[in-house]
Amino acid sequence: MEMKFLKKVMPAAAVAALLSTGVQAQDLTIATSVPSLGFPFFVHMQKELAAGAEALGGISLISTDGENKTPKQTADVEAAIIQGVDGIVISPIDAVAMAPALQQAVDAGVPVVTIDRAVQGVPGILAHVGADNVKGGEAQANLIVELFPDGANIVNLQGQPGASPAIDRNKGVHNVLDGMADKYKFVAEQTANFAREEGASVTEAILAGLDSPPDVIVAANDDMALGALQVTSEQGLDIPIIGFDALPEALGSVRDGGLAATIEQFPGGQSRGAMDALVKYLRDGTKPEAVILLTPIAITKDNINDAERLGELN
Amino acid sequence: MSNPVLSDLEEPARKVFDPVQTAAKYAAPLFLIFLIVIFALLHPNFLHPLNIFNVLRQVSISGLIAIGMTFVILTAGIDLSVGSLLALAGLVAGYVAKGGLADRFAIGDSVASGNPVYMAVAAAVAVGVVGGLIQGLVITRLRVPPFVATLGGLTAFRGAALWFSEGGPISGFTPDFTWWGQGRIGQVPIPVIIFLAAAVVAMFILAYTRFGRYVYAIGDNANAAALNGVPVRRITILVYVISGLSCGLAGFLLAARLNSAEAVAGISLELTVIASVVIGGTSLFGGVGGVFGTVIGALLIGVLTNGLVLLNVSSFIQQIVIGIILVAAVAFDQFAASRRPG
Repeated sequence: MEMKFLKKVMPAAAVAALLSTGVQAQDLTIATSVPSLGFPFFVHMQKELAAGAEALGGISLISTDGENKTPKQTADVEAAIIQGVDGIVISPIDAVAMAPALQQAVDAGVPVVTIDRAVQGVPGILAHVGADNVKGGEAQANLIVELFPDGANIVNLQGQPGASPAIDRNKGVHNVLDGMADKYKFVAEQTANFAREEGASVTEAILAGLDSPPDVIVAANDDMALGALQVTSEQGLDIPIIGFDALPEALGSVRDGGLAATIEQFPGGQSRGAMDALVKYLRDGTKPEAVILLTPIAITKDNINDAERLGELN
Repeated sequence: MSNPVLSDLEEPARKVFDPVQTAAKYAAPLFLIFLIVIFALLHPNFLHPLNIFNVLRQVSISGLIAIGMTFVILTAGIDLSVGSLLALAGLVAGYVAKGGLADRFAIGDSVASGNPVYMAVAAAVAVGVVGGLIQGLVITRLRVPPFVATLGGLTAFRGAALWFSEGGPISGFTPDFTWWGQGRIGQVPIPVIIFLAAAVVAMFILAYTRFGRYVYAIGDNANAAALNGVPVRRITILVYVISGLSCGLAGFLLAARLNSAEAVAGISLELTVIASVVIGGTSLFGGVGGVFGTVIGALLIGVLTNGLVLLNVSSFIQQIVIGIILVAAVAFDQFAASRRPG
């Protein structure tokens, strides 16, 4: 029995262990953690973190994946403390639930920089680098006002219930439009769980239930927006659709006249900024600003060159 | 025991030494020891007490549920609803502790105590027990297969959790609440103590009570057990209640550990839990296995994950390794079962 396990498991584990052991002189070990590598957004974030570390030089990275489970991300942070890393760059899955683990890190003297999502109630956090999701939602709403100054019937595709970006983006949209409720009406608001297929099926159901098509569809991420676009183009409807995240595919769609817009939060800029701030602090003792916020912008055909990931399109 | 056939079930006549059966019995503990030695050699801090207690605390939540799941699987059943029930129970515990949803996001010094902690625990456990009871009744009275009944539970309890919490978390508890998840006695974290205590109680129940013997008898052959006077329906309902109870307790502990109860907690947790039980040698066909193996299985997954993280192995490869071990364990279980007499 043991031999069976040995044969199957050990090569993979041993090879991986060998590969990961760096030999060149590294003066810093930094742990990174993103909520889930199942989402291209966070894969991009992780790549940019690695690129940022590479550019700074002399850093060996320990990259972990939260797998969208708070206990998993907590375990990764605990392991990083045990490993004696010099610092942690993390995008917490949940603002509160990750607080105990990050408090442990701070208590153990490990500097922590958060990206994209801040953590609550941990005073010792070195810095937070992010873009405000609420502001991103407001940017979506402002674009709606710009496109339809006389008012509009809006379909709102919300993100995964309970996830903080979903809550914040939705809040941003409502912040702007609820004040003009006489002109801007939400004719349907449904969650499509950030998923493309649900974006399509939910949109289909909504369109079937409405007497007349809406003026605009706003979605809390690009996947849902692209799902909605699939349905509207099948039905020959020309409804502007606004996504969120500025994924390469969505940028391509904006460029080619599909989606009306998407929201750019500069995840790469955030990631590099976070890595810079941490490394500067570790090497020179320069204390960064406690909160570094990048302003999200709406990307349309007109300003598509401002998008961070346009270069990934071929 | 008055029943001669059940007395036979108590002491199976399998005294002949069979290397495959013996290996099946000790494979998981030996492999666990092997992993611990390897990781200790490869990483100097692996055996650091802080890391040991980290691993133990990390497995205690899913491990606690795996103990309940062991009862279910021993009857050849399955409970897919555990992750959703954990989330619902945690939220109810949070709701009771806060005395409502009004200051659900208040954390730090502004936390006001709504109700005492024991009421929160009682509420979480009650949710788990009722959830398990409903599923047990659906399985036994409506004759819905466990897989389908608890798949329904998985969806319905998640929906209930989202609906109850309006989608968001309930965060920020008093120190006497979070102590249950974050506190320690000496060096030992509280969830670890609860996990191990539950394991001892469960082992005792399975080994020394009539209920325990009935659980094995049902898993061995439910029809034969029924013919021999085992109250199959009642025992079946009870094992789902036990599973629900462990979810309730675990939901409370997780909320205490994270200082936050989330509607999205425990998604796909059933897979880790079932993996712990199966790797620990409990057969998915019922009747064979036990809680000791489950504890070992849970520790094995915890040690493996922790060791691979310490060694900076990519998280993708971690998942591949755990998947291979799971399949190997079940393949071996099948092989051993095919050689079992009868």
